[in-house]
Amino acid sequence: MASVASEPIDTTTEVPGKRTPLVTGAHDYGTITDAVCRLAECKAPLSWYVALAASAALMGMLFGLVGYLIITGVGVWGNRSPVFWGWPIVNFVFWVGIGHAGTLISAILFLFRQDWRTGINRAAEAMTIFAVVCAGLFPGIHIGRVWLAYWLFPIPNQMSMWPNFRSPLLWDVFAVSTYATVSLLFWYMGMIPDLATLRDRAKNKIAQFGYGLFSLGWNGSSRHWHRYERAYLLLAALATPLVLSVHTIVSFDFAVSQLPGWHTTIFPPYFVAGAVFSGFAMVLTLMIPVRSICGIKDLLTDRHLENMTKVIIATGTMVGYAYAMEFFIAWYGGNRYETFAFINRAFGPYAWAYWIMVSCNVISPQLFWIKKIRTTPWMIFVVCIFVNIGMWFERFVITVTSLSRDFLPSSWGYFKPTIVDVLMLIGSFGLFMTLFLLFCKFLPMVAMAEVKSVYHEPHGHGDYQPEIKD
Amino acid sequence: MSMNKEIMATTIEHPAENKVEPELLGLLAEFNDPESLMEASRKVRDAGYNRWDTHTPFPVHGIDEAMGIKYTILPWIVAACGLTGGTIAISMQYWMNAVDYPFLISGKPLFSIPACIPIMFELSVLLAAFGAFFGMLGLNQLPKLYNPIFKSDAFRRATNDRFFLSMDASDPKFSEIDTGEFVKSLNPNHVEEFWSDVESPKLPRNLKLGLSLFGVLMLMPIALVAYKRSTVTDNPRIHIIPDMDFQPYLKAQNTTTIFGDGREMRPHIPGTIPRGQYKDDNIPFYYGLKVLPEDQDVITIAAQDDAKADEEKPAEAKPAEGANADAQAAAEDKLANLPWVTEFPMPVTDKMMARGKERYRIYCSVCHGLGGEGDGLVTLRAMDLQQGTWVRPASYHTDNVRKQPVGRLFHTITNGVRKMPAYGPQIPPEDRWAIVLYLKALQKSHQVDADTLTNDEKRKLRDTK
Repeated sequence: MASVASEPIDTTTEVPGKRTPLVTGAHDYGTITDAVCRLAECKAPLSWYVALAASAALMGMLFGLVGYLIITGVGVWGNRSPVFWGWPIVNFVFWVGIGHAGTLISAILFLFRQDWRTGINRAAEAMTIFAVVCAGLFPGIHIGRVWLAYWLFPIPNQMSMWPNFRSPLLWDVFAVSTYATVSLLFWYMGMIPDLATLRDRAKNKIAQFGYGLFSLGWNGSSRHWHRYERAYLLLAALATPLVLSVHTIVSFDFAVSQLPGWHTTIFPPYFVAGAVFSGFAMVLTLMIPVRSICGIKDLLTDRHLENMTKVIIATGTMVGYAYAMEFFIAWYGGNRYETFAFINRAFGPYAWAYWIMVSCNVISPQLFWIKKIRTTPWMIFVVCIFVNIGMWFERFVITVTSLSRDFLPSSWGYFKPTIVDVLMLIGSFGLFMTLFLLFCKFLPMVAMAEVKSVYHEPHGHGDYQPEIKD
Repeated sequence: MSMNKEIMATTIEHPAENKVEPELLGLLAEFNDPESLMEASRKVRDAGYNRWDTHTPFPVHGIDEAMGIKYTILPWIVAACGLTGGTIAISMQYWMNAVDYPFLISGKPLFSIPACIPIMFELSVLLAAFGAFFGMLGLNQLPKLYNPIFKSDAFRRATNDRFFLSMDASDPKFSEIDTGEFVKSLNPNHVEEFWSDVESPKLPRNLKLGLSLFGVLMLMPIALVAYKRSTVTDNPRIHIIPDMDFQPYLKAQNTTTIFGDGREMRPHIPGTIPRGQYKDDNIPFYYGLKVLPEDQDVITIAAQDDAKADEEKPAEAKPAEGANADAQAAAEDKLANLPWVTEFPMPVTDKMMARGKERYRIYCSVCHGLGGEGDGLVTLRAMDLQQGTWVRPASYHTDNVRKQPVGRLFHTITNGVRKMPAYGPQIPPEDRWAIVLYLKALQKSHQVDADTLTNDEKRKLRDTK
């Protein structure tokens, strides 16, 4: 197929009755492959090495601290009476939330036939996997005696005991591990054809062997594609309710308890909306620098970014609504403890955290109503950083304010993190970034086969005619 | 673009050893775009070929119909796996929490569906996802890392930007010349043959040997673990993580460098009383005995024996008074000859008597009655109900009880007798002695010779009646 020659297009402008192309620039199938494979096949830019070194150093610090924690005990954290959950759980819920965007973009947008997802889904799914890795770490070490973590699983043990299946904490074990497994399958399965592309283009023996092994002998057979597409659709259909269930179950950890501020039925939908919100913000935070560094702006266009900001407006507004509704129900429900918990959140000792949360999560995404901000990458980046900060604080506010002041004033306390808490949070970003950088370098960052399959439509059928625009 | 319609063989001749005759496996035709491939596919389908395929860098929509591909059974596999997951989840939760290890928490039912739903959902999705992924691989016969088609250099673009049609030589309709002509007539970019290997498909002998040796070595750790788990040993087990079951405290009979005398077991410190020894220094006060008997069990054994005897007897065959006498006689045998103290092991005062009266009315009178005749309110009520399990408490004013030394009475309060439980844990020893003192006074009050009373006292008695 001859290449489609066209001048740079402003894809953020709607042309009524015409579909906007998902790929800009003069591309054909071969140049799409070239663009995606370039980073895996060429020497990485210096910035990649610098970023990897920094992230790996932070990751090393995280593992060092985990070792210190295991040897010394969980007392190295700031968790003590009455706040026994503290930062590790805040970090857990934060990272699980980040992990929602990937599968959501892949699965739900796939089911809704949103073809623009093809440019971002691979990186978003990778982000999901890595975020779930970071999330899984925290409850793992929070149990204290990590070598007994297998007690969480229903496997026969020397005590002839079984775990209690009525505990939301156990549901969490199943939910998060199922989510991690299914996301991994979804991600890997989507990658098999692209790994085969890398295998067929690889020049050195190690790359040939590695990509050859993981592409499982894929040869692009149409009979294979037929079953593959069916399997992908089924996985998407399975992953969609799974995404919603994971954060719902995480919210049960809180909602099923008796604590004022936690014991609310709004938690499941509110947590899911917040998770999608923070996940999309994180995808944007990662993709804005990556698309310029890796030279894939043609595949990941401004329109992609704009679409994601619209999701952020929607979910950010839902989160804002949930904050308001919590207050309303606390007052309308007439429960004194509940009312106190919320007044205390906004005006008590953690008021600073509450107002950071509100300004980052409720106010900042509303800036996306302005088209200029929605289409300028660096502005999107700044707002998304605020959203990330705000969502971390949301988990902090929920966890810590409720625990630090519950029913009895005699058991009130003020939670202070230790240096280990702070460094572990920073270290978890190191772990996340290290994995993500390795992914960028060695794996196909954009789903080539999927982009090619949707790329054809607007170009091939002549839907888009640039000259109409003027 | 130049069309090269020559058939090219990609196989290169190899040295003679291990050589087998190469076999034609099929034909490969390259197209530039999905539309031409789709058109060619329709022709191949209509020509009646069965074993052939197309290879594209992305799923070309509509080609299923053009090739005549039947709809996959994958959704059924996924549904079956999902249902299996849900069934496993619910039966696992039922068996583990309601049958094998019942968890009773806050009076909630041992098994209820709502609590099982999250895990049912998760396991259904998990197994269904496995079904989708591994089902797809299985139906596609992947992973298959070796494929003769990969030897074609042109085929490398099948995952990039070219579209291929492959005809399998094992198709019954396949014939080298006719099919070749037919494929050329589809107007491809380029056609080539692909052949089987000329080298022997057998694995090298050394590789086989090496692999089996490796396999055997891999089994060794498992075998060692199995051996260790099925044998006994005197050595302490290897303890990677010291989980509080081994602690570095000092043990008797060991040596140490911490103390000057090198002993871990420490001698008594002057001026202190070791735990448990205080009571042994005050036997009359704490036991009601002059000296402890050699067989110390006898001190507590009587009450337990009686309680057991009581339970063994059916309730109806136990008339209150009769059982009372029998059991008492049985207890008599064991306890009668102990060296009971006959005098109070402390000075007897008015204050003690008052205390004894107060304590008696709190602890004893409910069953034994204010006068000690075995007619307390609890007793009366129990006899009223006639449940048959109540043994009427002894009256203090029988010869048997009256003859008992104070030490023996003290012992009965402390350790109980028959249905009467031990009050030692509830009443401190000073109070128990005070109760014994009051009890003795009660007994005395029932045996006063009227002649020893003064007129005033006689009048008092008459007036209170």
